[in-house]
Amino acid sequence: MALCEAEKTFVLHGVEENFRVDGREREDYRPIELETNIVSHAFGSARLRLANTDVLVAVKIEVDVPYPERPKEGKLEFFVDCSANATPDFEGRGGEDLAIEISNSLSAAYKSPEVFDLTKLCILKGHKCWKIFVDILLLECGGNLYDAVSIAVKAALWDTRIPLVKSVTVDGNNVDMEVSDELHDCQKLDVTAAPIMVTVCKIGEQCIVDPNVAEELCSVGAVVIAVSKDKFSTVLQIGSGSLHPQTLLECLQMGEKVAQRLSEALTETLSEINPNKNQDVGFLK
Amino acid sequence: MPQKIHIRLAAHRINPSIAVNRRVPKIFTPGQVITEQNEFMRGHGTYEEEGFLKSSVAGVKEQVNNLISIRPLKSRYNGEVGDVVVGRVTEVQQKRWKVDTNSRLDSVLLLSSVNLPGGELRRRSAEDEHMMRQYLQEGDLISAEVQSVYSDGSLSLHTRSLKYGKLSQGILVKVFPSLIKRSKTHFHNFYVGASIILGNNGFIWIYPTVSNAEDNAGGFVQNLEQVVSRPERETIGRLRNCILALIQSKMMLYDTSILYAFEESQKYSVAELLIPEAMVDVAILTQDRLSMLENS
Amino acid sequence: MPVDHKRINGPEISIPYQLFDKLNTKSLKTQFSEIVQPNGTRADGRTSTEHRKIFLKTGVVSQAKGSAYIELDQTKVIVSVFDPREIPNKTDYSSKGEIYCEFKFAPFSCHKRRLHQQDAEEQQFSAIMKQALESAVFRHEFPNFQVDIYAMVLHNDGAALSAAITAAGVALAHAGIPMYDLITSVTLAVQGNHLLVDPTLEEERLCQVPLFKEEENNHGIVVLSVLATHEQISQFYQSGYLSYACLSSGIEMLTNAAKDIVTLVKKCLVKHVIKSVRIVED
Repeated sequence: MALCEAEKTFVLHGVEENFRVDGREREDYRPIELETNIVSHAFGSARLRLANTDVLVAVKIEVDVPYPERPKEGKLEFFVDCSANATPDFEGRGGEDLAIEISNSLSAAYKSPEVFDLTKLCILKGHKCWKIFVDILLLECGGNLYDAVSIAVKAALWDTRIPLVKSVTVDGNNVDMEVSDELHDCQKLDVTAAPIMVTVCKIGEQCIVDPNVAEELCSVGAVVIAVSKDKFSTVLQIGSGSLHPQTLLECLQMGEKVAQRLSEALTETLSEINPNKNQDVGFLK
Repeated sequence: MPQKIHIRLAAHRINPSIAVNRRVPKIFTPGQVITEQNEFMRGHGTYEEEGFLKSSVAGVKEQVNNLISIRPLKSRYNGEVGDVVVGRVTEVQQKRWKVDTNSRLDSVLLLSSVNLPGGELRRRSAEDEHMMRQYLQEGDLISAEVQSVYSDGSLSLHTRSLKYGKLSQGILVKVFPSLIKRSKTHFHNFYVGASIILGNNGFIWIYPTVSNAEDNAGGFVQNLEQVVSRPERETIGRLRNCILALIQSKMMLYDTSILYAFEESQKYSVAELLIPEAMVDVAILTQDRLSMLENS
Repeated sequence: MPVDHKRINGPEISIPYQLFDKLNTKSLKTQFSEIVQPNGTRADGRTSTEHRKIFLKTGVVSQAKGSAYIELDQTKVIVSVFDPREIPNKTDYSSKGEIYCEFKFAPFSCHKRRLHQQDAEEQQFSAIMKQALESAVFRHEFPNFQVDIYAMVLHNDGAALSAAITAAGVALAHAGIPMYDLITSVTLAVQGNHLLVDPTLEEERLCQVPLFKEEENNHGIVVLSVLATHEQISQFYQSGYLSYACLSSGIEMLTNAAKDIVTLVKKCLVKHVIKSVRIVED
């Protein structure tokens, strides 16, 4: 999609006026819809809808051998699939660059032990560990992908249940483990510090969050800021523009503030989930 | 103060459909037999097989004498001569522009079907051909009328009236073409301080009312200097969100329904109209007022 | 990941012997205190804000349109820039030129052998490089064209990405591609209260995990590229876990360090011009 100069001017003046085309202020978010535990074959899953952006995240867990250089840690990997359902541009290898960029930024954001403790995933030092596969499927693209993906990933990890290991026995080179066969015998992951990404988009002289597609087209550059608790776990610049150091600092402050609000809202929503009540909606509209 | 961030559970989703006590028309699905007699004529969306007339799309039956056609529920825009459309220029070619009008094929705007600056009855020179990109370039929005329909279904547009031409500052909203109600005029100046073009093709253009009508219309000038004032901007934003609220509940769009929705939405701030509850509330209130108008 | 069938690959799992080294029995904290003194003096005698000595040379690849070689002590990177060519497999017209970057570690450049295919880290570094260079180049001057930039790390001893970006800037200038400004890049490693400009590989490794408790759990890597005369940051990348205060002082430190390198880059380019003029005169 292309925009003409007049439309861009309208968006630009709106951002300056702190009244965007849909009436939002610069730091306002569009309403988000979330559902967890939506894929029955997965250990944890979440689907998130932010305006026209639709993301499905599913978590799979497998038993693996730890990396020799980090014997006490489990593994966490992110895979993004840009489905051609989202836009025909993703057909074939079209979405590959975007997919790599998103999955790399997620693995960078989850890398620090302060953010996500991989040692909890260790079963037997040097021999057995859990490997978490986080598969992210982009079903629809309506702008602001990073934010949507990061919230959905956090919700899916929150929803994830790891089977409880009853016993591990070592017999020479063979390692045997016994997993509890009780369905509800499982542990949850600690996701309190899991990062939330906020894309701060620069339009004109001002910065906004949660841009829609038109606003994304008007922007010269954006900064993706992953915030965990009150610290930054990853910051990366996207788009082709450059920023003044002062603007960068302003973006960082704004991103942190908005991420706090997002994280509060997410915690509140997750606390509303009641596993005893049937709250399933699934893919039906 | 920024608004609270709303993250809701899918289970708390509200149903946007508004119950109307109207008879639901029968919906035909592809392959379904419409009629067994063969004295009927085969229209759009139907085919004949083994003496039966069958539907080829999902939609409702329309019958004119003994011509039967099935109108699909959701389709791209099928242009008719005289329709007002809003479109976006996608390509500049020799002597013509290609325009995206939400129809199956791109529409065509011939250089000879536009009013060029400097007199209506001017010969088109070779220079005009070179200047084409300066009048309209890729990405520009225009309002136009359907001049004719080619045999392959693509449309030929014209802007030979002062009310058509290049669009300046404003917002484009895209809706299903079937939600636009056909009426005498598709240009509306609302008393609230904004104007609207309801394109038959489902593209709706909302823009600040221009006090001096001759200034803007039919030209190829965009005023990029002009800053739209805050009240005007609020009106435009509110109109946009009201239209989105109406289409979420699948209500027809025309001047009265939009204006009612605008008036009923006053209790919410513009940004609050993005919240699904508020959208449904506005749609229900509008529906009530419209049915009152019908009954009175 | 797809396996490269055209080359003979090593065994799928191999372990660098260093892992069995005695050194590894020491805790990371002791290792860190061994290479960084409490006052910030580092193993090679630099202060925490001191950049390593840089060697920079243009025209090292005769077949390429522009090329540069950079050495930051042990870190060695070679970058070449090729003529703009039409964007392959592209149907629609793009009004701005594209920049294609390929960042690659040579198989022998790190402790662990790297494969010939780009791995996730290299792909990410390529994307960062592209981001850094895009805003420096007059992309509107070569619509529908693509400039290829290849960076090969011959030896990685920390800050390889920064070295590649600085060298790529020089190589672009050497290739005569119009640019708004010279681009320079610096890396910063953070551990607790220590901010180390231009870290070595060892320092980078020790900044991946927090070594200090509670209030001082800042740690991470920051890479920043600057267009010096315009005072613009063309690329910024951070990973780890950093507070705002730490990040903002880091940004200031890096911007200043990057500006210092510009003088050297200019000198290198001027030297190249003088040399070519001499050749013509002779």
